[in-house]
Amino acid sequence: MIWETTPMSPDAVSGLAGAWPAGRVRRALLRKRSRFGDGAYSALRWAGAGLFGAVVLGLLVGIGSDSSAAFAHSGVGFIWSGTWNPAAGQYGAGILVLDTLLTTAVAMVLMVPIGLGTAVFLSELAPRWLAGPLSTLIGLLAAIPSIVVGLWGLLVLTPIFANQVEPFLASVPALGWLFRGEAYGPSILLASVVLAVMTLPTMVSLSRSAFGGVPLADREAALALGATRWQVVRRAVFPAARAGVSAAVTLAVGRALGESIAVAMVIGNRPAIPESLTTPGATLGSAIVNQFAEASPGIGTSSVIALGAVLLILTVLVNAGGQALLRSGSGSQAHTAGALR
Amino acid sequence: MRAFRIDGRPAAPRVFALPRHVAGPLAVLAITVVAAGCGSTSASTPKTAAGSATPSSANLLGAAYDTSTPAQVTLNGAGANSIEPFFETVFYQYNQKNPNTTVNYSPAGSSVGVTDIQQGTVAFGDSEIPMTASQLAAATGGTVLQIPVDLGGVAISYNVPGVTKSIDLDGPTLAGIFDGSITNWDDPAIAALNPGVTLPNLAIKAVHRADSSGPGYDLDQYLIDTAPAWVTAIGTSTPSRTWPEASVGIGEQLNTGVATYISQTSGSIGFVEYGYALQNGFVNAAVKNSAGSFVAPTEASIAAAGAKATSLSPTDFNVVNEAGSGTYPIANFSWTLVYQKQTDTNTGIALGKLFDWVITSGQEDAASLGYAPLPSNVVTLAHNTILELESSTGTPLFSNGA
Repeated sequence: MIWETTPMSPDAVSGLAGAWPAGRVRRALLRKRSRFGDGAYSALRWAGAGLFGAVVLGLLVGIGSDSSAAFAHSGVGFIWSGTWNPAAGQYGAGILVLDTLLTTAVAMVLMVPIGLGTAVFLSELAPRWLAGPLSTLIGLLAAIPSIVVGLWGLLVLTPIFANQVEPFLASVPALGWLFRGEAYGPSILLASVVLAVMTLPTMVSLSRSAFGGVPLADREAALALGATRWQVVRRAVFPAARAGVSAAVTLAVGRALGESIAVAMVIGNRPAIPESLTTPGATLGSAIVNQFAEASPGIGTSSVIALGAVLLILTVLVNAGGQALLRSGSGSQAHTAGALR
Repeated sequence: MRAFRIDGRPAAPRVFALPRHVAGPLAVLAITVVAAGCGSTSASTPKTAAGSATPSSANLLGAAYDTSTPAQVTLNGAGANSIEPFFETVFYQYNQKNPNTTVNYSPAGSSVGVTDIQQGTVAFGDSEIPMTASQLAAATGGTVLQIPVDLGGVAISYNVPGVTKSIDLDGPTLAGIFDGSITNWDDPAIAALNPGVTLPNLAIKAVHRADSSGPGYDLDQYLIDTAPAWVTAIGTSTPSRTWPEASVGIGEQLNTGVATYISQTSGSIGFVEYGYALQNGFVNAAVKNSAGSFVAPTEASIAAAGAKATSLSPTDFNVVNEAGSGTYPIANFSWTLVYQKQTDTNTGIALGKLFDWVITSGQEDAASLGYAPLPSNVVTLAHNTILELESSTGTPLFSNGA
């Protein structure tokens, strides 16, 4: 479980039963136990769990068998070999994996600080009249389909990036090398910005809920010890909301890794080794979008499905890595609370 | 010249020729449709026999506007993105005049057209390049008929501030732009071809198709024909729908994606179907043809290329770099793909009528949309191909009248 749920107090439970004494409630529940409803509910639970398992299993088996021809053709090197050139019968996911990780990483670097900042503002600092409407607005933003964000990137951001942003970044003295090369507009950077915009609302609303779940008493205690507002956030709220915030980041990373259509619209779709953040690229998702409908039957189609398999593995690895990081860090949580200065 | 009638019977509704188990449900359907129609008399006066009165050599059945089609038919098609402006217009007009036939076309790309017809998920596909032998062999529904339905060209469009007239480009220069050896608009190679044109010192932003495409195939063919350096760069002399990986620049999806990029990015150059270039009001390069003259895409110059296709067939379809001083060098025919055996006879009849109209009367709209009307020998080829349509039992759906 990601979310800490507060167990209901015994008083609350008996309160639900109204005026009935606790014994009578228990007897009433026991009497009905073996009736039809319980059986049906139990069957439904098992069916649900079974179906879920079957779907996951079917997905894995399907992807595995359909991509096996590609792995047989290109070997395990498919995963890291750099050339993706269907015209010449060369299939390798290496550059696509690199670009996928790169766009996701840059998107997170751009998005997480802004997302956390907004969440802190909404939950700790904003006046109530502002926090409400702003949260609603962010909720709306989360509901915008990715293709719409992609269109916005294609039609609005692309010319701005090509004519202003990328030339400007390339001229920044110390960082110019990160953005060198032709300013095409569509690029790894633009794709990262679109991904950042796309994942921001989820990040904000989830971390805000996490902050909201921190007991008021923790804040009051910190304030009583003479903490400033920033110290309250830093020392009392952050540590307690750590699990929720990590879940938000994990979700955002998952979405960024797998996002296909919006990325395909703004990344430039050229699988070459990136020279800088402003070079065009291609991610696993965008390559699937571009190639699947028209992949040549046989190895071509199988290789595109194999891209899906690689994406699946990548997502699982990144998620597992994130959780391991969280687990290794949670031991220090107890100490941070006491480290208030 | 010739009159064509359904099943060789004068004006008789074709339903009578059907096997009973098909005819029964069909008749019920037809009655339902007639009953549902608002009392129109359309079913009583088929114009099929009037074929001979039509001056056009090949207006199958003369029945383009024949509303006697026994049932309402919806034809779903998918394929080439390049033909979309043309198809959109002619399908709409056909439906206006023959409301019983509704056509939905999904312009997802030539290769989608091929895959979809192979798997039988559409009534017709369309591809800028005819299907290869191995693609035909992979078709699940038997023999695929390939009907040439339009003649188009691939425009080399660009967006260079201050350059408002057509610049001249040849194969080696274009190849240089796409393989990255020419990176600036004031490059001597471009300047040498365009004396008197002031070219800015501006980086070239080349854009190509991210999906595999007919225009990409045609330009690849042109560059292979004219630029040895291109063949070296891409390492093959076989053109490919997938734009070669050796290319610089960015990839955008479909003609619309490329066109959008060109229209909003200064310094950009790319290739789109001429119909899209016309819609967007692009300035297009005059491309050097095999006669050594520089020709911009127009209806006339594309028609001149099509006129060279005297022996056109699905295996001899190449009209790139054709001879003639007024010939635009990057042209191609678009091919509609249908199964010879039509499991649903109504669909087969409707398909045949629709495309016979498209290759004849429908061509009148071609010029204004950025295409050239089909040459008469191609119309005959297309028409004869449509005549090969059969029912599921192998009976021809159409036949030549006396």
